[in-house]
Amino acid sequence: MSDTASSAPKPITSRFDPRFEPTLYAHVGVPGSHTLSYYRSHGGYEAASKALGLEPKAVVDEVKASGLRGRGGAGFPTGVKWSFMPPVDGRQRFIVCNADESEPGSFKDRYLLEDDPHQLIEGMLIAGWAIQATIGVVYVRGEYYHAYGRLAAAIDEARAAGILGRGVLGSEFDFDLILHRGAGAYICGEETALMNSFEGLRANPRLKPPFPAQAGVYGLPSTINNVESFCAAVHIVARGAAWHAAMGTDDSKGMKLYQVSGPVARPGVYEVPMGATFRELIMELAGGPSEPAKAIIPGGSSTPLLPWSDATLDLPMDYGTMAKHRSMLGTGGVIVIPERKCIVDAYYNVVRFYAHESCGKCTPCREGSATWLPKMYQKLLAGQGTHEDLALMEDMVKHMRGTAFCPLADACAMPVQASFEHFRHEYEHLVDQGESLYPRRREWAA
Amino acid sequence: MSSRQPLPTVTPFFADKQERLSEILARYPEYGRRSALMPLLWEVQRAERHVSEARVEEIAEILGLHATEVKGVMSFYGTYHEHPVGRYHLQVCRTLSCSLAGADTLADFLEDELDLVNGETDPEGRFSLQYVECLGSCGTAPVLQVNDTYFERVSRSRCRALLDAMRRDTLPEPTLERGGDNEPNAPDQEGGAA
Ligand SMILES: Cc1cc2nc3c(=O)[nH]c(=O)nc-3n(C[C@H](O)[C@H](O)[C@H](O)COP(=O)(O)O)c2cc1C
Ligand code: FES
Repeated sequence: MSDTASSAPKPITSRFDPRFEPTLYAHVGVPGSHTLSYYRSHGGYEAASKALGLEPKAVVDEVKASGLRGRGGAGFPTGVKWSFMPPVDGRQRFIVCNADESEPGSFKDRYLLEDDPHQLIEGMLIAGWAIQATIGVVYVRGEYYHAYGRLAAAIDEARAAGILGRGVLGSEFDFDLILHRGAGAYICGEETALMNSFEGLRANPRLKPPFPAQAGVYGLPSTINNVESFCAAVHIVARGAAWHAAMGTDDSKGMKLYQVSGPVARPGVYEVPMGATFRELIMELAGGPSEPAKAIIPGGSSTPLLPWSDATLDLPMDYGTMAKHRSMLGTGGVIVIPERKCIVDAYYNVVRFYAHESCGKCTPCREGSATWLPKMYQKLLAGQGTHEDLALMEDMVKHMRGTAFCPLADACAMPVQASFEHFRHEYEHLVDQGESLYPRRREWAA
Repeated sequence: MSSRQPLPTVTPFFADKQERLSEILARYPEYGRRSALMPLLWEVQRAERHVSEARVEEIAEILGLHATEVKGVMSFYGTYHEHPVGRYHLQVCRTLSCSLAGADTLADFLEDELDLVNGETDPEGRFSLQYVECLGSCGTAPVLQVNDTYFERVSRSRCRALLDAMRRDTLPEPTLERGGDNEPNAPDQEGGAA
């Protein structure tokens, strides 16, 4: 690949590249975009028809060749995951959509569900065909009630139009969706906990292996993907793998919905090619910070923060670069932390989230995330911390890494580690002076 | 039947809703009947603003489970209530992005205005206040969820207007906020209809 790179056209890594055009997010915010008639008048379900005319394996191969990596946080190659399904053996197979979006700083899936539900249905239909699953499950977090309603209406419309049900789109393939509503638990975003929750059990994660392809929903072969991953598959089938692979960097292809929150001029979701820089996203698209900033959380609150600097702003937002800087791309949910926010206070907030969401199943998480870390933060913020406490916290988070039953404990420990690495002086100031370097702010828009 | 002591005053919730019950059960494959547990809890809670012991037993019976199994699932999740919440269940997100946008002050404001603390319901059963975690509305922070509806970019004046509206039982339709790539129209002030 690299030896032909000199003659090949440069990959698209900027929103401002004239070859780039928004696809995933093109219809969000347009009145009426959630209806079937709107969707169809913009080329909707043509990709599904095209896919149904191909061999399932050809669809899997196309998605593999596109370089698409899962947009739910872990970045696992989507086509490869689809190829893990066992051979068809007469058992029911499931395609599952993870629409539990709950990682703080992430809000892209909600807009897709609310304003473009047919895009998701089409993506799941394509994936269902590719892995030969005739039932799809959409697990929507309980709070997304508006999205749930939009999706339910879209499913009804699709059934009435022969897009779901028996012999979809005039083919021999049967496919239908089950829409399922969660009830407010972050852990349900973890794929095996989600499956337990769907089955009407408490949402504790399951031991892996077996992986969902072997034993997923009801113990049957299943594949699970994020909302955005399914939507990307629609455009990959419509425009071809090469189109998708022309965007992005070596290890990160295609377009991505990045989210920006925190004090910036225009927070929100922006569709940008992979490999665009933080500068392009935060400074150019989101209008820059509205007050001096000191850190960037790149992909949801579990991803380790990066200090605000010119060097950081120039980093391409892709999987490899984030890993090289000991962080993660996660969901692409960028949070800008202002100078005047006390880092200890900010990370108490983050830890409080994971404490609240720990399912209590395993010891490192129950004792670490849910019990001792928040208590230590409370002690520090009360001005009663010692240097020994800081050492103990650092030791504790080290022991939470890779020791828990599921990655929730890591999601809590990793960002704390990074906050110590880059802002230890703020922790020390709090210990030495008994008060924060940056006192709590009581600001709220009038 | 006669050896049990059923609660004689309670008519089963689904007694006059058999069609709805069948519709919910039919969503799932026969071997996956238990999947209907959460939807049934939702169905009851939507109508009664909580799920009582009697309803737990009823759902257990429908699904062929023990009441403790139903209760075990129900208690796992933060959004099923054992006791009735008010007609306006105010849920304030205080997670990082909302906190950076003033959610802690918003929470204090609501505590003062309603004379409630986190988890309480007022004596008239009008308002409940609950702190919740990230609602996926971080780009339009701070967010206040009233029952099932999001009100976003809740400023002090907007919050006041919303409370006044709820006191008059005239909760407005929310404006759909988008932000980012979809920011043609600025939010209005009344927290209300577009
Ligand atoms: C604690 C935890 C929470 C998660 N939450 C979500 C979520 O809300 N949405 C999501 O798509 N993936 C979430 N994931 C990742 C899923 O387990 C899974 O990897 C993903 O849905 C796969 O889809 P993808 O390959 O398309 O990314 C979470 C993982 C963990 C460990
Ligand atoms: S932090 Fe409040 S909605 Fe995400």
